[in-house]
Amino acid sequence: MPKRDDREYKALHFIVNMGSQGVLQSDLWRKLGASSREGSRIALKLENKGLIKREKELFGGRWTYRLYSKRMPVSINSIIDCPCLMCANDARCGAWGTISPNECERLTAWVLSLRQGDADLSGES
Amino acid sequence: METMVEDETLQKVAEIVGSEAAVQVIEVLKGVNEITDDEIANKTEIRLNSVRKILYKLYDHSLVALRRSRDQHTGWFIFHWRLQPDQLEGFILNQKKRVYEKLETRLGFEKDHVFYFCGVPECRKIPFEEAMELIFRCPTCNKLLMHFDNSAFIEILRLKVDELRKELSE
Repeated sequence: MPKRDDREYKALHFIVNMGSQGVLQSDLWRKLGASSREGSRIALKLENKGLIKREKELFGGRWTYRLYSKRMPVSINSIIDCPCLMCANDARCGAWGTISPNECERLTAWVLSLRQGDADLSGES
Repeated sequence: METMVEDETLQKVAEIVGSEAAVQVIEVLKGVNEITDDEIANKTEIRLNSVRKILYKLYDHSLVALRRSRDQHTGWFIFHWRLQPDQLEGFILNQKKRVYEKLETRLGFEKDHVFYFCGVPECRKIPFEEAMELIFRCPTCNKLLMHFDNSAFIEILRLKVDELRKELSE
């Protein structure tokens, strides 16, 4: 039988991986193979440690809790397609360098791709 | 407190650092405490030299750590690799900081200059000072350079810079 600490860690890891949508307490215990009593004890413990927050939710006609991680995992989504990541020219790239972010066409294309369609980018005046 | 990183993020970072094969290597490393490059190659069916290349790339960014031991029979070194998920957060924050600095530099440049453009997508936008020296002719296609309003571009840049600044301050 897994130790309680191990289950706590697994539960926390699962909640963190669910991100901002959180997870229903009942779903989590099914996933961990624990009983609802064990489950709510672990959830309470995690809440007391300040690692998660619980919000009451009516699901299928019964009250349960949705669990959210208090500390959102660090994400790379905001720069995932940025050409500067792993750019071979990085060491030479700077405002006054031979290669500069001011004139980098790949960077320009990436910036334009961020809001394509949101604004008129033709720039004609 | 223990670092929490989504499995998905770990995969994305692996892809950035070293393509699809790196994702497979990371998957193997995730499931074990320590493993040799030989064992990874056997499990993933990726060639040993490619596995080593990926591991060294990950090592450069401190995403994996290694321990060296000597083979009793051959006297050769054996490298034991393990994942360092606690370094992943630092790696991501470093990359974000780098991108933030570059975008801020670019934003300053865009704000401080007036641009001229010939309208050909492949040609670059030229700052006023340079355009004047070129007598308002595009150095690439020789078409007439017209004033280019970069305010929409500045707005996108500003939004991204703000987004990254907020993420870095959290």
